[in-house]
Amino acid sequence: MVAEKEPLGLSKCSDKMPKRSKLLAPQALPVHPPHALVSEGFTVKAMMKNSVVRGPPAAGAFKERPTKPTAFRKFYERGDFPIALEHDSKGNKIAWKVEIEKLDYHHYLPLFFDGLCEMTFPYEFFARQGIHDMLEHGGNKILPVIPQLIIPIKNALNLRNRQVICVTLKVLQHLVVSAEMVGEALVPYYRQILPILNIFKNMNVNSGDGIDYSQQKRENIGDLIQETLEAFERYGGEDAFINIKYMVPTYESCLLN
Amino acid sequence: MASSEVKPKSVSRAKKWSEEIENLYRFQQAGYRDEIEYKQVKQVSMVDRWPETGYVKKLQRRDNTFYYYNKQRECDDKEVHKVKIYAY
Repeated sequence: MVAEKEPLGLSKCSDKMPKRSKLLAPQALPVHPPHALVSEGFTVKAMMKNSVVRGPPAAGAFKERPTKPTAFRKFYERGDFPIALEHDSKGNKIAWKVEIEKLDYHHYLPLFFDGLCEMTFPYEFFARQGIHDMLEHGGNKILPVIPQLIIPIKNALNLRNRQVICVTLKVLQHLVVSAEMVGEALVPYYRQILPILNIFKNMNVNSGDGIDYSQQKRENIGDLIQETLEAFERYGGEDAFINIKYMVPTYESCLLN
Repeated sequence: MASSEVKPKSVSRAKKWSEEIENLYRFQQAGYRDEIEYKQVKQVSMVDRWPETGYVKKLQRRDNTFYYYNKQRECDDKEVHKVKIYAY
């Protein structure tokens, strides 16, 4: 019956265009109903027949956060830092107007760390290079300041800006080797520092057998995080590994086994 | 001028990196010919050095600002030929 009727119906419809379009229209309807009711999931609305459930919104774990004006910038513009910029053949360098040994680390080191959030020249350069010089020449003056450095470090990492994370990770690697016991002193603060590292740990490029140039330039965040965690473990004493593992469950020890 | 006391007789360029060249590089970054001139100008008898490597650590420049240097080698191979060796 049906097989007989169908060709008949089609041949009849073929010279009447409006009818044919009416036949086709219901096929497209279930896919994208024009008057579909868009609703959130797990609501009464969502159970209605003509409703389309919207997917969950992106959580935004990798989204960059807006920057706030930093105290570092304010102090620099006010001329409070005893530093000057020197251009030389190799790049830029900081000329210190006073000896680093005579600086008050409790005041200046947290301020420079605050500058880690900066992304523009010259603030970014001064913060990075200033921290480098102060850590290199600080010796035993660094350890007592550690508790004051945690919040600036956390703020910088929380921006989730790739460039800022890169610089902060390199600073952290320098920090743990800058003086004795600094690695151990950081262990209680892993809760503040490591969550962001956990988020970005797998941010690696799977380029097959291609060349990933960010490795050469040390800008690959996944690799930098791995290096940083290994440095934490090496210099953090015996409690370091278990504390890292607690915050970054996918981390495997580089010392055990 | 204090530097007029001892004047170098000749100058040549460094070909290969060595610890001496590394130190000369650091002095020349700060704007001095070498340790001799630095000591003359600044009237100091000792230069701050890293105890581990013996490289120059801190230099005071002519405008009295300070340059700080790393513990590790700073003079890359591509910079070596810029270093001048003065002979007295």
